[in-house]
Amino acid sequence: MKYKDYYKILGVARDASADDIKKSYRKLARKYHPDVSKEKNAEENFKEVSEAYETLRDAEKRAAYDQLGSHAAGQEFRPPPDWSQHFGSGSPFDQMGQNAFDDIDLADLLAGLTGGRARGRAGGRAGGREGPIPGPDYEAMVRITLEQAFHGTEIELDLSVPEYDDRGIAHRVPHRIKVRIPKGVTDGQKLRVPGKGGKGTQGGRAGDLYLDIQVQSHPLFRTSGQDLYVDLPLAPWEAVLGTSVELPTPAGAVALKVPAGTRAGQQLRLAGRGLSRPGEKSGDLFAIVAIVVPTVVNERERELFRQLSESSNFDPRAHFKLGAAA
Amino acid sequence: MNIDTAEALRLDEHSQVSFSQLLVLSGLSDPDLRELVDHGALTPINPSASSWMFTSYCVVVARKAYRLSRDFELDAHAVSILLGFVEKIEALESELHALRAGALAHGTATAKDPVSR
Repeated sequence: MKYKDYYKILGVARDASADDIKKSYRKLARKYHPDVSKEKNAEENFKEVSEAYETLRDAEKRAAYDQLGSHAAGQEFRPPPDWSQHFGSGSPFDQMGQNAFDDIDLADLLAGLTGGRARGRAGGRAGGREGPIPGPDYEAMVRITLEQAFHGTEIELDLSVPEYDDRGIAHRVPHRIKVRIPKGVTDGQKLRVPGKGGKGTQGGRAGDLYLDIQVQSHPLFRTSGQDLYVDLPLAPWEAVLGTSVELPTPAGAVALKVPAGTRAGQQLRLAGRGLSRPGEKSGDLFAIVAIVVPTVVNERERELFRQLSESSNFDPRAHFKLGAAA
Repeated sequence: MNIDTAEALRLDEHSQVSFSQLLVLSGLSDPDLRELVDHGALTPINPSASSWMFTSYCVVVARKAYRLSRDFELDAHAVSILLGFVEKIEALESELHALRAGALAHGTATAKDPVSR
């Protein structure tokens, strides 16, 4: 079992008062709570903070934790020989052999002291409940490519989940789940996989698996909801004369007619070429025009540009004069 | 090892859940869920119906409400206010994201139907 330094996680001394612990938890919860925080690794940090508070806020659990001794964070350890007799009395850990602690998570060990199951619905506390206990929900972040979001995909998730033995003691076990992600999911979208959370006990229903979709950034396309954006570089003469270009889309290249007189920054909308979902209006693909000039020109090109400059009446700064006259 | 493939369901405006399903899926208590509806944090599809139905996106909001209530020890009224702010921030972020996605754009959209290849 790996040691976690709950005091260090909450940033308090080992002899901190209950009030100081609560104050520190609230401060860190404000900083890391995934629903209100934009910090990097907020969810991971909040889980640690929440787990630490869950133990230290409860006098009985805190005393049991303190008796485990102080070790370096992440260090493998076992509870002292008399620990389970003293603190586990009446709990699933009563009279447990020393080796039996090896695959137990510290949080599950301490949660087990107050009635077996560590966490109930939506990660809530369900210790000591009578009657059916629903299985816990699992949550996972899934990073997929834009192509996978566009076409739909199947993913395999490897989770480490608590599995309860006959005595109600949680053991961490690897759990592989295969999930079909429907086409047209967008960045930040939440999906529910019914019945793929933890098993219920005493006749309770299985929990659900919730997926938080993250669409990876793409070298060509940017996403906004179901709409896609792609930069479309044009040579000056293509923008002036109009042209037909081969434009990449997630479904394959399309020929796009660029009208004569197209300006830089203009958006050419390709209706329905964005992310689509069955039975719903599809997103659009926007090609954003950029006029790109050659930085190296040969003599012939230089001469042609010179001729154009001499014969053209085009004044790109005509509005400066209008502004000055006003 | 043969693993069954499970279907992931979207939580959006296009599917529905009942009041009792929302209770089970969110972890909220019956009074708390009703209070969130009273405060306008969650809106039934037809508020005057005898049994409330919600879009399945409400599952996301209700679970968030449950987490905020549990982790910050807030009552339903405070959670409703917080959810309102979170929703506003998310809407602004979404708008900012859309602007960034089309960052180079300052012309109006014109379109010609493309030809598929």
